[in-house]
Amino acid sequence: MMFQFLAQTAWFVPCYPLVGMLLSIAWFPSVIRRTGPRPAGYVNLIMTLVAFLHAVLAFSATWNQPAQYQYIPWLQVANLDLTIPLEISAITIGGLILVTGINFLAQWYAVGYLEMDWGWARFYALLALFEAGMCALILCNSLFFSYIVLEILTLGTYLLVGFWLNQPLVVTGARDAFLTKRVGDLFLLMGVLALYPLAGTWDFYELGLWAQTAQVDPKVATLVALALIAGPMGKCAQFPLHLWLDEAMEGPLPSTILRNSVVVATGAWVLVKLAPVLALSPVALTAMIAIGAVTAIGGTLIAIAQIDVKRALSYLVSAYMGLVFIAVGAQQTEAALLLVLTHALAMALLVMSTGSIVLNNITQDLTQLGGLWSRRPITGLSFVVGALGLIALPPLGSFWAMLKLADGLWATRPVVVAILLVVNALSAFGVTRVFGLIFAGKRQQMSERSPENLWTITMPMMIMAGFTLHLPLILQSLSLLPNWAILNKDMALLLIWSSIFGISLGGIIYIGQAISRPVGIWQPLRDLLAYDFYTPRIYRSTIVGSVDVVSRIVDWGDRYIVDGLVNFIGFASIFGGETLKYGNSGRTQFYALTIAAGVVIITVLMSWSILTHLSFPIAQ
Amino acid sequence: MLSVLIWLPILGAAIIGFLPGIFSAKQVRTGALAITGAVLAWTIFLMTQFDPSNSGLQLQEYLPWIETLGLNYQLGVDGLSLVLLALNSLLTWIAVFSSKVEIERPRLFYALILLISGGVAGAFLAQNLLLFFLFYELELVPFYLLISIWGGSKRGYAATKFLIYTATSGALILAGFLGLILLTGASSFAYESLAGQALPLGLQVILLGVLLVGFGIKIPLVPLHTWLPDTYVEASTPVAILLGGVLAKLGTYGIFRFGLGLFPDAWRVLAPWLAIWAAVSVLYGAIAAIAQKDIKRMVAYSSIGHMGYVLLGGAAATELSLVGAVSQMVAHGLILAILFNLVGIIEAKVGTRELDVLNGLMNPIRGLPTISSLLVVGAMASAGIPGMAGFIAEFLVFQGSFVAFPLQTLLCVAGTGLTAVYFVILLNRTCFGKLDNAIAYFPKVEFSEKLPAFILVALIFFLGVQPTWLVRWSEPTTNAMVAAVPAGSVLGRVGGDRPIATPPELIPMATIPTLEP
Repeated sequence: MMFQFLAQTAWFVPCYPLVGMLLSIAWFPSVIRRTGPRPAGYVNLIMTLVAFLHAVLAFSATWNQPAQYQYIPWLQVANLDLTIPLEISAITIGGLILVTGINFLAQWYAVGYLEMDWGWARFYALLALFEAGMCALILCNSLFFSYIVLEILTLGTYLLVGFWLNQPLVVTGARDAFLTKRVGDLFLLMGVLALYPLAGTWDFYELGLWAQTAQVDPKVATLVALALIAGPMGKCAQFPLHLWLDEAMEGPLPSTILRNSVVVATGAWVLVKLAPVLALSPVALTAMIAIGAVTAIGGTLIAIAQIDVKRALSYLVSAYMGLVFIAVGAQQTEAALLLVLTHALAMALLVMSTGSIVLNNITQDLTQLGGLWSRRPITGLSFVVGALGLIALPPLGSFWAMLKLADGLWATRPVVVAILLVVNALSAFGVTRVFGLIFAGKRQQMSERSPENLWTITMPMMIMAGFTLHLPLILQSLSLLPNWAILNKDMALLLIWSSIFGISLGGIIYIGQAISRPVGIWQPLRDLLAYDFYTPRIYRSTIVGSVDVVSRIVDWGDRYIVDGLVNFIGFASIFGGETLKYGNSGRTQFYALTIAAGVVIITVLMSWSILTHLSFPIAQ
Repeated sequence: MLSVLIWLPILGAAIIGFLPGIFSAKQVRTGALAITGAVLAWTIFLMTQFDPSNSGLQLQEYLPWIETLGLNYQLGVDGLSLVLLALNSLLTWIAVFSSKVEIERPRLFYALILLISGGVAGAFLAQNLLLFFLFYELELVPFYLLISIWGGSKRGYAATKFLIYTATSGALILAGFLGLILLTGASSFAYESLAGQALPLGLQVILLGVLLVGFGIKIPLVPLHTWLPDTYVEASTPVAILLGGVLAKLGTYGIFRFGLGLFPDAWRVLAPWLAIWAAVSVLYGAIAAIAQKDIKRMVAYSSIGHMGYVLLGGAAATELSLVGAVSQMVAHGLILAILFNLVGIIEAKVGTRELDVLNGLMNPIRGLPTISSLLVVGAMASAGIPGMAGFIAEFLVFQGSFVAFPLQTLLCVAGTGLTAVYFVILLNRTCFGKLDNAIAYFPKVEFSEKLPAFILVALIFFLGVQPTWLVRWSEPTTNAMVAAVPAGSVLGRVGGDRPIATPPELIPMATIPTLEP
């Protein structure tokens, strides 16, 4: 009964962090001078914990129950009915648990990580905004409101990445994150606008029904579907909109935990929800697989060439989201969601453990680290757990997700399965490389002194490691693991072999150090990967450059042609400001008085008829 | 009832203007605040008296004036004018509040602002073409004086330019009105006497074109806009708030009331071109804004782009797009007011508006953190981030226009992307970055200086989260306006190359709600 009530009121969950956000806005600089910045963080921690507990308790009431729908009226105008539909089901409540849980750990982690920072109020307010936004996104069952949330989160990304706003790289990173995501959002908006006249609804459930019988011109369907894909492409940092995730690494690390695990997944979530509509266009499905495949292979390759530990992980995020794109493109939405879940936990753990290294070694340059295994056993173990949880190695989570995906792809698209195996091997190689560069080898100057961190950092990291380790058990208890009897054992073996291949190769090079570093591959290729296929440069010389040039041309034309013409006609030159100098105060008042007098006289003249009608006694 | 909105400020202007010189600038300001506050309160009272479900004219007033001319003092309010009246009353109060406390020649300054308030209210209330025109022209001189006395360094040039442009606009509108009356042979200038009059389509198109150019200067639409950047930049903060927040709305109000309202058939003919014009304005304003180095100028250009959405919504003339366009007028007024207010504060405290000089104002200790945060909110509201008033208005315009003009709508959507570009440039340079400690000795921003921005932010958020309050006033009226437009798909009826001079078929003009006796 109690659980039922909590499930019914699941819409409280996004409200808790929202309240926390509003409360922490109250910590103005003047208030901080009296209380210090910390209470703003504690308030949010408490609200997040409440949200998490609410979601956990509500889960039992939704498990094995049909989805319930709630409707909150928002706006009804003309023939447009904007009601907020909420879906309360095991999947959405499970999503809430994931988001609030990772948020809680990340906020806890931030207590230690940002110990010396004064910007707590701003930071926690923004984390809370993200939490509220993601919870709202999960619950709301409408494309329109999903778009609203995604767009607000785009603004949140801008402010969160720009948290340390006096550093130039941070400012440009925030700018690029905002604009790249905005480009995706605007295409999504175009899709949203175009879909309504076709389907007459934005409700995901009704869209699914509509898509089953819809007769849409294939060209229109393709255009709409491609526009709808563009939004998630920006959010999931897919090629060619992937650049922002790399630059977002300038933001504070605790926010990276969230960004790399659940924030990027917002795009995947919308994509999964839209899957029935996207299925109307075979071109769009193929495009999704192509985008996902390019991003997955490109992302893992680039990740291997990075020497910045945060970037080495962030490109893996793009790659895994690419796998999700492949899954949705192949209409394997269950596999997609499962992969989002397993990736979120493992990646959050990886970011937490590397953050724990970065914080007290004061560098995120992999070439300056090494030999930390004996000094940082807890962090090292957490990293290993995260790494193994990320790649396809049983019994940890991602193995099951990838197995499901490969299994579904095998019959129809064997080539994509090959891509999946390559990506998995490259990822395994990549994480092993990072592990080797941080924990194996000789200690360097920056890693000479390195104790484990404060408990506020280590504790959430260990809890996250525990969750990652227990994920298969949780999946099993929810009967989300495949039955042993029908398991595709060949596929499982292939996945395991690809993982082992990647790990061993990485181990030989970076742990065993059989080859001297940096590994001598062809320099142009290494630069190509290290500089992200030169994407920033390509952007700068094409889109950014052309907008800049066009705006200058328009401005020039505006000043000298459009306005110049006007001035030339002579209006301004006759009465130009130079000749009429109103600096002299007496003259202007004189003018004003003249004008006022004129107005009065004219008014009296024009009103003469009324005045005579009024029949004053004097006039008689 | 309605006359109060006109005559209270004008009476106040007279009182303040002729006060003896013994009162300090601060006392005069308090007086002006009291009067504008009373006007605002009266507007709110009128809103409670207004029946939003009624699409026709309400609270009408009639007084015969020069009947031989067909000019009568005839007022009324419907959903279209009500929201703009509210915007006018609010922004006038905000403008007075944003004025410098120790302003020079306070009596003249506040008197002129009050005069503008009364005049604008009159234009929104007038139900007679000539009366509208008188009130429309009444703004001109006070604005001219406000710019040329209290403006920036190039104020003389800007004021003259404004005067000439606006006078041209007035002349065109008068020509349009006179042409309309003479050609139809209507008995008076009253709106309702035009009901049921017929006019050949070709003539309608010509008259509409004249009015469009006339009002297009006021909005302004590209390429009639070049007075705007100079004027907005040279005008002081309160005057810029009134110019951008209220005066520009007279242009769109005129286009809707007289263009769409009186010439629905001609509107149909011109609609595709109007939508293209809107898209051009949107893109042009946004692209030109990107290249600006002066934040006030950037905001001024952004205004050109945002008024383009209003025209787009009007051109499509669907129920949704029209209510969206009216909402956009209100949202744009609020957002532009807060942007000008904040830019004014930054200029006053930091001493510059140059993007290349400004930096790091978000700094919590030595910068202007609250002002910067508010600027982030204002800029993002303008860039159309949901949760704020600008988004829902633009969205309604887009959704409503998409069915009629998909391509133009998509171009306008792209325009919102460019909006984000220049606002990010503005925020990155102004608020973010490293504050130069050597120059960071800014005067403290008093709470009273922030108050207008706080009020506006609260309204922007409230209307963004509860958009029902934005649309409920005008929806029945705009629905009725759309219903008056002949049925049939806009695209289906109007080919792009249809000659303007069609055979002289007589088409009845819009039926305008008649007066209750």
